[in-house]
Amino acid sequence: MTSDRAICVDIGSTWTKAAVFRLADDRFVAENRAAVATSVDYLPDAFFNAVQQVCPGADWRSLTAATAPCPVYFSSSAKGGLKVAVVGLVPEMSLQIARLAAFSAGARICASYPYRLTRASIAAIESAQPDILLLCGGTDGGNERYVTENAQALAGSDFRGTVIFAGNNAAADRVSDLLAARDLVITANLMPDFGRLNIEPVREAIRSIFLDKIVAGKGLDRLVTAFATQPVPTPLAVLNLVRAIGDHADGWQNFALIDMGGATTDFYSHSDSWYPESGTVMKGIVEPRLKRTVEGDLGMRVSAESTFETGEAYLAAVSDFSTEQLAALSRYTSNLTTNTSHLPANAIERHYDSLLAGACIYHSLMRHAGSIEEVFTTRGPVWAQTGKDLRRINRLVGTGGYLAAMGRNGDPVAIPDRPVQPAEKVALLPQNFVYYADFDYILPLLGNLAEKFPRACALTAVSALRQTQHYEVKEPCQREFNKA
Amino acid sequence: MQNIVLGVIGFDCHSVGNKILDAYFTEAGFKVTNLGVMVSQEEFISAAIETDAKAIMVSSLYGHGEIDCAGLREKCIEKGLEDIVLYVGGNLVVGKTPFAQVEEKFLKMGYNRVFGPDCSLEKVVEMLRNDINSGKQ
Repeated sequence: MTSDRAICVDIGSTWTKAAVFRLADDRFVAENRAAVATSVDYLPDAFFNAVQQVCPGADWRSLTAATAPCPVYFSSSAKGGLKVAVVGLVPEMSLQIARLAAFSAGARICASYPYRLTRASIAAIESAQPDILLLCGGTDGGNERYVTENAQALAGSDFRGTVIFAGNNAAADRVSDLLAARDLVITANLMPDFGRLNIEPVREAIRSIFLDKIVAGKGLDRLVTAFATQPVPTPLAVLNLVRAIGDHADGWQNFALIDMGGATTDFYSHSDSWYPESGTVMKGIVEPRLKRTVEGDLGMRVSAESTFETGEAYLAAVSDFSTEQLAALSRYTSNLTTNTSHLPANAIERHYDSLLAGACIYHSLMRHAGSIEEVFTTRGPVWAQTGKDLRRINRLVGTGGYLAAMGRNGDPVAIPDRPVQPAEKVALLPQNFVYYADFDYILPLLGNLAEKFPRACALTAVSALRQTQHYEVKEPCQREFNKA
Repeated sequence: MQNIVLGVIGFDCHSVGNKILDAYFTEAGFKVTNLGVMVSQEEFISAAIETDAKAIMVSSLYGHGEIDCAGLREKCIEKGLEDIVLYVGGNLVVGKTPFAQVEEKFLKMGYNRVFGPDCSLEKVVEMLRNDINSGKQ
């Protein structure tokens, strides 16, 4: 860059955060930080206030890319990302791959439908009106019937968003005819051969639709024109940073990151998914190295009530609360869901918050991780694996406002090494790892620069993180991994 | 090109014959989705649906074929694959049961053709083409 500085702005649904990063040797240094309340109706107001605070001395409203003292990058959460409905064929095959692709583009999945779209599913899609409907199914040259029938059903519906078709390429022409009157994007197949993943084209399609949709409203087009830069969806900025860290930071080849917010808990992993030499047999798809999952029912504020519902068994097991105490916790979470800016007023509420955080971590990790099951064959026992193996994760990062604050206060974070209830399957959870807190809550802002300066961002991120705890499982769940 | 799905069913790990079949059927002009060893009935069906396969070729070598293979035809019908061709072959049962009895048992289960360990693959391919083209159940 021409200047050794860059300004990053993250426009969230509540706060607009900004920082100036200066490139010093091989990494960035954060110089100034600011956070202002987001001006919901016209986003540039808060944007300019925040930028003015971190970089005073010029009237930013009148500047452009050519006259600004340094380049400006920005991300927008756009209410938690684009709402995507996924329509696939077999649930554990094309539908699962489509979900992985949508998550890895920073999207929020509102519903997924396997096989044929029924009238009830169409009605649900019409009432939810997702921004994007991702239609897939069939390998190239494989099944055409379901995608064409589903395209036909969509053609007759009141769904008004964009359709991305990423199924059997042999059906593309037919789908394109059927949906000629719709906003339709056709990409390469998500699963060109059975079990082979190809998620990049869909990721790219979702990303460009995101740009078109969010830039159009709330004044962001003005920022795009003025600073000659495209916004990134906030979750994608974090994903880009996770990718950069895994690719460029020494010793970070097997790590995971949990981003816990008020509404969702996002879990990222950058590690191999399956280790054939560990003696397990893979069932279903081998998931990608870089994986993101988003849990819409897990969060500290807006989703507090649903976190309690999802996590009731976990909370009962870890808290040793009586029925009355659990009921009090339940009331606290209902109150949070309506009163999202509430801060804990006393010790008991602080304890409640830490329990809720534990439930978010527990369930998001359990859902992200795969499992193995011992099966007996004529040649002795064999482990059959589904999903992603996280046992070799050796570093785990916690970010988001709450986990950043927990790190600063030195509060221990509860991370499970096994399910709270005995299960037949063994969950493939991290066994021996160091926990790092994003003390300064800087990762989402830094993520804005990750695509352009991956190496510098990776080094900056790992030097900004602080190691707070070391977790080691005394009795690893499976013997092969004692050596690993 | 016609798609077929191939695999060794159950908890059977015999992989050599599976690789030979894969190479032979591919050479014969089929698009083979080879699921390898230790394949469940559900995996055969998922693969057949996504690839729009015309046939599922099931191997079983370890003697538990009868229990592993039972019910596959019914599951195919449940999943909308009522017309798919099902072949099964290998060491299907333990012991010295005459092949005619084994064959009858598996035909009753809904398999279109049943093969022992020593069949001619050339003939299998010929039958497979005919069975697929005639839409034979």
